[in-house]
Amino acid sequence: MIPTVSASGLSLRFGGTLALDDVSLRLGEGVTGLLGPNGAGKTTLLRVLATAVPADRGSFTVLGHDPGTTAGRLDVRRALGYLPQTPGFHQDFSAFEFVDYVAILKELTDRTARHREVRRVLEAVGLSDVRGKRIKRLSGGMRQRVALAAALVGDPGFLVLDEPTVGLDPEQRMRFRELIAQAGEGRTVLLSTHQTEDVAMLCHRVIVMDAGRIRFEGTPAELTERAAGRVWSSTERDPSARAGWRTGTGAFRNVGDPPEGADLLEPTLEDGYLLTLDARTAEVAA
Amino acid sequence: MSAGTDTITQAAPTGVEPPAGGRESRSAAVLALARFEARELLLQIPVLVFLALYVGYAGWRLFIGGDGEDDFPILQNADRATQPTPMLLAVAVFVCVNRAVLRSRRQSTDQHFDILPVEHWRRTVAHALSVLPLVAITAIVVGFQYTWAALKPGAVGHGSLAELLVGPLLVLLAGVLGVLLARVIPVGFVAPPFVIGAFVLSTLVSALTQGKHWVRWLGPVVTEEGADPFPSELLGRPAAWHALYLAGLVVLLLCVAVLVSGGRTRLVKSVTALALAATAVGVAGQAPDEPASLIAARTKASVSPEKEQTCVRHGRSTYCAFPEWTGRTADWAEAVDRIQSRAGGSAGGERLTVRQRIDARGGLEGDAAIPASTTPGHITAGTRWGGNRLPEFAVGVASVLVTGTEEEAGRMCDARAVTVMWLALSTQPDPMRSLRDVRLDDSIKGQAIALAPTAPVSMSAQQTTVVRELLQKPHYSVAAKVKAHWTELTSPKTSTARVAELLGVPVSGKGTAADSGSGSCEDQ
Repeated sequence: MIPTVSASGLSLRFGGTLALDDVSLRLGEGVTGLLGPNGAGKTTLLRVLATAVPADRGSFTVLGHDPGTTAGRLDVRRALGYLPQTPGFHQDFSAFEFVDYVAILKELTDRTARHREVRRVLEAVGLSDVRGKRIKRLSGGMRQRVALAAALVGDPGFLVLDEPTVGLDPEQRMRFRELIAQAGEGRTVLLSTHQTEDVAMLCHRVIVMDAGRIRFEGTPAELTERAAGRVWSSTERDPSARAGWRTGTGAFRNVGDPPEGADLLEPTLEDGYLLTLDARTAEVAA
Repeated sequence: MSAGTDTITQAAPTGVEPPAGGRESRSAAVLALARFEARELLLQIPVLVFLALYVGYAGWRLFIGGDGEDDFPILQNADRATQPTPMLLAVAVFVCVNRAVLRSRRQSTDQHFDILPVEHWRRTVAHALSVLPLVAITAIVVGFQYTWAALKPGAVGHGSLAELLVGPLLVLLAGVLGVLLARVIPVGFVAPPFVIGAFVLSTLVSALTQGKHWVRWLGPVVTEEGADPFPSELLGRPAAWHALYLAGLVVLLLCVAVLVSGGRTRLVKSVTALALAATAVGVAGQAPDEPASLIAARTKASVSPEKEQTCVRHGRSTYCAFPEWTGRTADWAEAVDRIQSRAGGSAGGERLTVRQRIDARGGLEGDAAIPASTTPGHITAGTRWGGNRLPEFAVGVASVLVTGTEEEAGRMCDARAVTVMWLALSTQPDPMRSLRDVRLDDSIKGQAIALAPTAPVSMSAQQTTVVRELLQKPHYSVAAKVKAHWTELTSPKTSTARVAELLGVPVSGKGTAADSGSGSCEDQ
């Protein structure tokens, strides 16, 4: 992988909380998923990479630009598309006007070219038909797509998406995954999510964060592989399992260290994720 | 900062031409944003409403609702008459710009926008620039109002560009103040209370400082409207200093807003210093009270205007006016000739002197009445003309023809009023309307005072009736009787009933002392 985004030793403390603890990573073209529980530091990492907050320590570059200088920070911002966790909207603007407004703030100054670009991204997210509609009259899913269009406008080389599928219904989520997959073609996308399904379906690489640190970095298959031989089925919840739940069939799906002769199941990415987090819990306990 | 080896340093997709990234593209982005915000601002209901009211009122005054005086504008008054009308538009601009600046905060887009290439302080500049189309509209309206006035054949005097700049600067100042307030107090509901607070504060300050010159001139609009317009050289308004003060203040407030927004560049700091200096110079220039030389000049023009005036002869009479009004003497002469042609006795051929007089000793806002002239055959003309000023002047002329002097006309309280009023009003295009207009109570019945440039004329109810009857008759039939009975009609001893009889008007009812020829107004 040839990295477009490289970070080294990023640390950031908010009061007594170490939100980022010596985070280093390298991102290349395609969609990278950022998984982790609430409070893991995902949003903080995204905000640091988006130059919204500076890190206390460490450094990073985006497409070769160093945000440590004023000019470099501006270059990073020019190369950036950002979809915040809870995007705000100018409710009285139409979808077109809002994306046009963001396009201006991204220094797309030629009116004709800018409007062409705004129409392009709105078409890409499937909002061409409602582009003249006021945002306050759009559904939640449509608004989220407006936010994605705003992130995509100007064709940024680095796209940062903070939990973009939260609050969407399954159909909207599927539609959104399509859009993110398309967005990942030819650019670097960092996608923060709680949904392991998102990662499984979209990402060619995955990073697992917890307590401000990176616990795993690799492909989704490698994360899934972590659970190989550690998922089994039983009629009752196995007390030795680190996690277990009754499935739709009535049987229990257990994750952990299986007993001898257990009925092993095919692992999923979620199993690998759970075991990765559980390993950290075990470390802390030890 | 470190970077990984073999790092890609080019943005991959290219759906649109990437920004150049230089100073030019950032300025272009600010202008593009200003255009966007300007469009939004123009679509705000308060701005639309007050803009429509402003333009509509100006158009109405120009084309429909103006009185006769508007046909004879005095340009040194017409310029500053453009200043108060944009005030409501300015208030709407202030509130709406403030709201527009706070839009991002109100709708939680500010954190997102803060990581976009156009920085916070550049957005502040764009918001201030978004007011410019409204400033331009105001400038166009002001320019049109003034040009329209200046192109009228009856226009006199000289306007001031500095006075004309105040209206547009007021709108710009309101917009910039709205931006600054949003940056300093980023709370949505502050703007309307701020407007009320500013009004209350200005009223309080004005009351506490008793309208001191330097305090009044700190406000954006200083109208100063008195009874009589002055010649340009007697105005003494520090209009240029005031325009400099306002322009400096606009830039200074914008710079403060930019500094508060994080734009602490060397350029902004330098412009701030310059704007502060310009504002201070403007304040220093406009602050001093009226100089003694100006007060002396005003006194001279009030007490001995003949030293300042140019006199011209029209026919047998002389007309003296301040230099800016010499073109108006022909209008006075026309009015005098018409009235004199209907007078009898020696009055019909009397050599009169019409002199323009003002009382400028009370300053621009003075409303002192001009004292009546004691010189026989001398008639006072004011600096206003057109509308009600025409019948008023006619009353003044007729009073002197009938009584001899303005002073005597002021004391007149007898049936001569009938002759005076008929002479004055029968020469007007619409005598009955002029009768109504020239009377203080706007009536054509009962007793009332009829206005004149110096000495008003008292009319009893009976005299009013006679005048009304006379004005309804063909003027040539009355004029012959007036000429024939001139001596009796101009005698203070002649009663109203006798006057009516001489002029062929039936009179009924009991008259007052003034009607009996006693010459006393006390019983009226």
